[in-house]
Amino acid sequence: MKQNNFYKGLMIMLTITMVGCNKDLLESTPYAQATSANFWRNSDDAVSAANALYPLLGDEMFFGHPEQAWDICSDDQWRSGDWGNEQAIEDFTFDASNDQLGWNWSLKYEEISRANAIIINVPAIDMDTNLKNRILGEAYFIRGLMYWHFYKIYGQVPIITEENVISNTYNVPKATMEEMEARIESDLKDAAELLYAQNDGDNIGRPTKGAAWGYLAKLYLYKEDFPNAITYGNYVINGSYDLLDNFGDNFNPDIVDNSEMLFSIQRHRGWTEENMATWYYAPRPWDGWGFQEPTDDLYNEFEEGDPRLQATMASLGDIINPGPGGGAVEYVDGLNNTDHYFRKHAAFRSEGDGLDHDLDIPLLRSADIYLVVAEAKIRSSQSGDAEINAVRHRAGLGNVSGADMTDLIHERRVELAGENERHADLIRWDKAGIVDIVSHYAIDRGIWKPGRVFQRPKHYYFALPQRQIDLSNGILVQNPNYE
Amino acid sequence: MRLHSMLKRIFAFVVCLASFQLAMAQTSVTGKVTDQSTGAPVPNVSVTVKGSNRGTTTNISGVYTISLQTGDAVLVFTSAGYEATEVAINGKSTVDLSFATTSTKLSEVVVVGYGSQSKKDVTGAVASVKGEQIQNLPVSGATQALQGRAAGVNVVRSSGSPGSPGSIRIRGTGTINNAEPLVVIDGIPAGDLNSVNPNDIASIEILKDASASAIYGTRAANGVVIITTKRGNFEAPMKVSLNTYTGTSQARKTLDVLDAASLAYLKKERYTNDALPVMSEWNDANNAVQRTDWQNELFGKGITNNIDLTVTGGSAKSSFMISGGMYDEKGIISNAYFKRFSLRINSDHKIGNRLKIGQSLQLTRANDNSLNTLSAQDGLIWSAVRFMPFLPVKNSDGTWSSSQGSPNQFGDINNPIFTANTVDSRNTNTRLLANANAEYEILKGLKLKANFGLDGSHYQGRSFGIIINDQTRASARNSLSKSFNESYSILGEYFLSYSKMFAGLHKIDAVAGYTSQTFDGDYFSASKRDFPNESLEQRYLDAGQNPGGIGGNRTYDALQSTFGRLNYDFDKRYLLTATFRADGSSKFAPGNRWGYFPAFSAGWRISNEKFFDVSFINDLKLTGGWGQLGNQNVSSLQYLALIGNVGQYSFGTNDVTGTAQRRLPNYMISWETAEMANVGLSAEMFNRSLSLSVNYFDKTTNDMLLAPPTIGTVGRLSIPDKNVGTLKNSGIEIDMSYNNKIGQVSYRIGANASFIKNKVVTLFDGNYIGTSLYGRMGQEISRTYEGLPIGIFYGWKTDGLYQTEQEISSDANIRNDARRTDGLIQPGDVRFLDLNGDGKITEADRTNIGSPHPKMVYGFNTDFSYKNFDLTLFFLGNAGVQLFNADRMQGIDPTYPFNMYAETMNRWTGPNSSNSIPRMTTKRNNLNHRTSDLFIEDGSFLRLKNLSFGYTLNEGVAKKIGVNRIKFYVTGQNVLTFTKYSGLDPELGYANDGNRQLGVDYAQYPQSRSWIFGLNVTF
Repeated sequence: MKQNNFYKGLMIMLTITMVGCNKDLLESTPYAQATSANFWRNSDDAVSAANALYPLLGDEMFFGHPEQAWDICSDDQWRSGDWGNEQAIEDFTFDASNDQLGWNWSLKYEEISRANAIIINVPAIDMDTNLKNRILGEAYFIRGLMYWHFYKIYGQVPIITEENVISNTYNVPKATMEEMEARIESDLKDAAELLYAQNDGDNIGRPTKGAAWGYLAKLYLYKEDFPNAITYGNYVINGSYDLLDNFGDNFNPDIVDNSEMLFSIQRHRGWTEENMATWYYAPRPWDGWGFQEPTDDLYNEFEEGDPRLQATMASLGDIINPGPGGGAVEYVDGLNNTDHYFRKHAAFRSEGDGLDHDLDIPLLRSADIYLVVAEAKIRSSQSGDAEINAVRHRAGLGNVSGADMTDLIHERRVELAGENERHADLIRWDKAGIVDIVSHYAIDRGIWKPGRVFQRPKHYYFALPQRQIDLSNGILVQNPNYE
Repeated sequence: MRLHSMLKRIFAFVVCLASFQLAMAQTSVTGKVTDQSTGAPVPNVSVTVKGSNRGTTTNISGVYTISLQTGDAVLVFTSAGYEATEVAINGKSTVDLSFATTSTKLSEVVVVGYGSQSKKDVTGAVASVKGEQIQNLPVSGATQALQGRAAGVNVVRSSGSPGSPGSIRIRGTGTINNAEPLVVIDGIPAGDLNSVNPNDIASIEILKDASASAIYGTRAANGVVIITTKRGNFEAPMKVSLNTYTGTSQARKTLDVLDAASLAYLKKERYTNDALPVMSEWNDANNAVQRTDWQNELFGKGITNNIDLTVTGGSAKSSFMISGGMYDEKGIISNAYFKRFSLRINSDHKIGNRLKIGQSLQLTRANDNSLNTLSAQDGLIWSAVRFMPFLPVKNSDGTWSSSQGSPNQFGDINNPIFTANTVDSRNTNTRLLANANAEYEILKGLKLKANFGLDGSHYQGRSFGIIINDQTRASARNSLSKSFNESYSILGEYFLSYSKMFAGLHKIDAVAGYTSQTFDGDYFSASKRDFPNESLEQRYLDAGQNPGGIGGNRTYDALQSTFGRLNYDFDKRYLLTATFRADGSSKFAPGNRWGYFPAFSAGWRISNEKFFDVSFINDLKLTGGWGQLGNQNVSSLQYLALIGNVGQYSFGTNDVTGTAQRRLPNYMISWETAEMANVGLSAEMFNRSLSLSVNYFDKTTNDMLLAPPTIGTVGRLSIPDKNVGTLKNSGIEIDMSYNNKIGQVSYRIGANASFIKNKVVTLFDGNYIGTSLYGRMGQEISRTYEGLPIGIFYGWKTDGLYQTEQEISSDANIRNDARRTDGLIQPGDVRFLDLNGDGKITEADRTNIGSPHPKMVYGFNTDFSYKNFDLTLFFLGNAGVQLFNADRMQGIDPTYPFNMYAETMNRWTGPNSSNSIPRMTTKRNNLNHRTSDLFIEDGSFLRLKNLSFGYTLNEGVAKKIGVNRIKFYVTGQNVLTFTKYSGLDPELGYANDGNRQLGVDYAQYPQSRSWIFGLNVTF
């Protein structure tokens, strides 16, 4: 009897064994994820892939802070904060292993990778042609934008396109300056061709033709191709990208639809990441982290009565409601080191409960393009008065006539202060012999901006991140003078 | 000789049997069992009549009485820690026994995979630690207790925080990936060693070489740790034992930091040296008044309590063991705690003569509160070292002090006492480990066994971040995040074992079977923000006003294997073991799933040879083996290009989600294979009082899975592992023990040492593997290169400080360095060495500046006993090891807005004032405190890990209070430490980045010194 039971048990065990030997046991499933075999099916997938181009831009290590911090080298702002590596950047004593140089190197390439995936896969999807064009345009735009930022910071970097993805070759030498410029030009031209001129209400913040033209105009100005800078700049000026009536509305979180904002990083409290830049720029005692403070030198650059001053930075005596619950208070000594902070990047909620994380991070405004066209005209012996005066008029200031580079330099400085343009502008103008950046940076502007040694031409470009040089195993060559 | 003694024994047996038959039937026999070495009576000895189920146990005086029946001839005496002894009754009415303790390991049985073996027949490398060696130590888990117990088994402690277990490295770090050994608890692989109450453990076996562990081929490449828990004995009376201890712990050491006055003085000196105006904060006399020693405030008194109760017993057909325990440790930092409740039920049953079934069940629930002590940006101890000494703990109005007065001067650190008191990240882990097994004897020697196991865990994590307004690192919104993770693993295995002796010379033991195990996981997490009320009872998701993130997913992995092992013993002289295992893993793509792992070993018991005639050697055995082992301990699904959600974005107010590829696939991914060879010699000498074993091993891990460094141009895609690396570990292990008796004092000395070399043979394209960066300056410290051990320290070499301008202008190291011509290098700065000879100090001048791998890891223990007293001392140590004191690197760097180490007072102030501590400056022009050999320190240490002193009450007294046995003891943990290392604790372990970074000081939670008082009572 007992034996019988036992054999019954044995049979059950053996049955389980047979089930256990089932081949399927080792089949694993990627839950809640797709593979390339079941993605890129339709327009929903394409739109979702295009949406993936944007979230990283607001990352703390991207435009959240380090990508904005290159301008601490300028005379507009003092680094403040407590990142030791930034002192060396500001003072031009950094070497290639300085962290700032590498914070978002791979983030930019991740953006490029996502753009490349769209450029490879979306053309084959059967979907609405206009939408397909827009999505491809977004991909070309973002890729061009990334190479534009690379170009401004390091000059030459490896170019990764869809061809590299297909051939799986990522460790490539850096491109020449001409190749960099050609890549940016080609991507932005493709983008300008494919993108919509305007986006509907559900797509505000995606790039437009205007955004692509704007960056093209800047590229041509950097290349000193003035006719093209004027041509593409005028596409923007003559397009529907009008300056706002009120300069400060560009930095007002409550203004959602903004014709002047050619491209910005959209923030929506509770859904996207918070505006990381806001944390960095706001004063410490007011819930921020107190980085990148405007200098008195910049403060003094503003003309008497220029309303842009107050929209750009806070100064002693301003009345601000930093919240939460404390009501409006006077901005006083001790909140920041330089007694200023950039209001362009740090707004407080009208509800009075603290920092406003609906504030977008501005990347390109048409006001910049007006001044690009003005500069291109002045430097090609034409009058840039109309474009400069359009910007001045909006600020409620009087016209200039026969504006020269001095006027243009002044206008760019006050209009675009804190928007990460100044240091790149000064380098550009030094190369053109318009300013002497070495002596300009040698000036002692007080304890928050003592004189610094800018080595020409070494510091025209930052060093490539040492980690990338090391990882490339000899393929990636350091920029001149950093070896 | 051997045969002769056997014949003699058989003869004696026959004679006694005959005499018994002739004698009158005895009614009973009585006797006293005493310890052979101490002469003390031995209670609780099981005395059974051989060949029957009848038995008894000795009482507290060691006395037993057993009634006899006709035919009873031999008594069998057994007791833990003693040699099982058979004594013929021979018609005597009194049979006393001088009981010999288990003197040598050779007579022990060791548990090996799917069976057990007599130690003397083992041909592989197996270390065995008996449960009693690790019981009642003030540690939360068995991992910690294993430290220093066996050669080749290195327990690396990375934190002293309550409940933090440490990592086990068997025979070196076998892979750059997860190098933890496989843990098998009562036959279930993949258990958590630290969920077991150490006091429930009967023995721990560590399978070190390929031959021993190949039977667990799938996950055996890093060794196997087999835990066997205590079980009841058949025919044993019920026994209840109670164990309890309580004690306190304290910080062993604090770092000397500057007092407020010295700090203000040095801060001012920085500006004076730089010709800058002194920041007003440092001229404020109030900021030069010493108010708080933050480390003393942070480190308090920890408390550890443990209580467990065990009941064992058995009838002729069933036996059981039930235990319940509670371990409660409060750390030396307030709010750091670990609590574990455990319940265990083990039982065994005989059904008929051929079928045996058994089960084990373990239920544990552990709670802890995790503190951040690993960050060089806001770690708690890191903060306490650096927080301003002139600030009080609390202001006069009762609020916490803060550095908000001037974050740029006083540092953006939050008051560490505030942080320690408000941190709320309580985790709960509930685990169930259960198995049921059956064994059926089909024929004599042939058994069919089945084993089913379930290892389930339910983990709940929670973390509440409060609103912080009045500290520098403020937080405007509060939030609660909560995660649930359920995982369960199901094991099924079936195997046949066969054991037979042929012709009295050939002994065969064979086992073969099939096993499969599945691993399922399911998790989700959710968070909410904006809790209007932060009181503890409101910290639940429903009370939050705005949603945060929500996520969840499922995971599945499986293993499937067949295995076999054959042991052959010829004439007790020649031993042979062959093992084979075929393993399939779901981690790899179809086509690359199956790995085949063979292993062989052989032993020669030289002392059993006729020619062997060395009188003082009782036993001598030479063993050797070779085998291959597999490792699949890497992420799942790496053969697929996974596409998933990569973030959220909004267009105006239109919220969207983006989808992108997240990983590059590797279709070829497959097993890592460790190939290991082992040669060993073991001996017992001088009447088995001295035992010695020496092993040499060579282990090469081939096809090591490595994710090639993510070159930035790839973006942020995760890079799949590729089977590209080769790693080699080789070394010598020595174990010895000696026991003796001088007068009334008996003692035992055990010692072990291992000398292991680790070397990365190949990586990829001659490149290196980096690690995460240290602190706000993002300093790189550890790298892994071909030809060197894993994770060497990588930085600049130095040669003291520049004492004069003349030294700078004439220094060839910087002859072409622009910083020299720009006047950025000054006397009092560090002289870095220009290794590539270009006359500039650049990244290219970095090199290997030290290795964190000890040349020798050792442990030794001594046990003394005298009458009722016993004393145990247990030491462990590391020798020939270097540590990187990153905390000091930052601690003497004057460019941070932090407090500094007190030794900064000895800084360079003028020619020949110092050659090692750079001048005060606010600038980082020469990067004096970059990663360099200035911060490499000798990390060798010798630690009196445990000291235990016990007293067992005289039996008479014990009896009067109604118990069988009662023992009091005092045990100290980390009693003494001898080291030159200047940091808090030389046991730094793996702080960040797993095996890639070892021995870097982040101001980790140090191990504390603790003393406990305990009591053992047996009823």
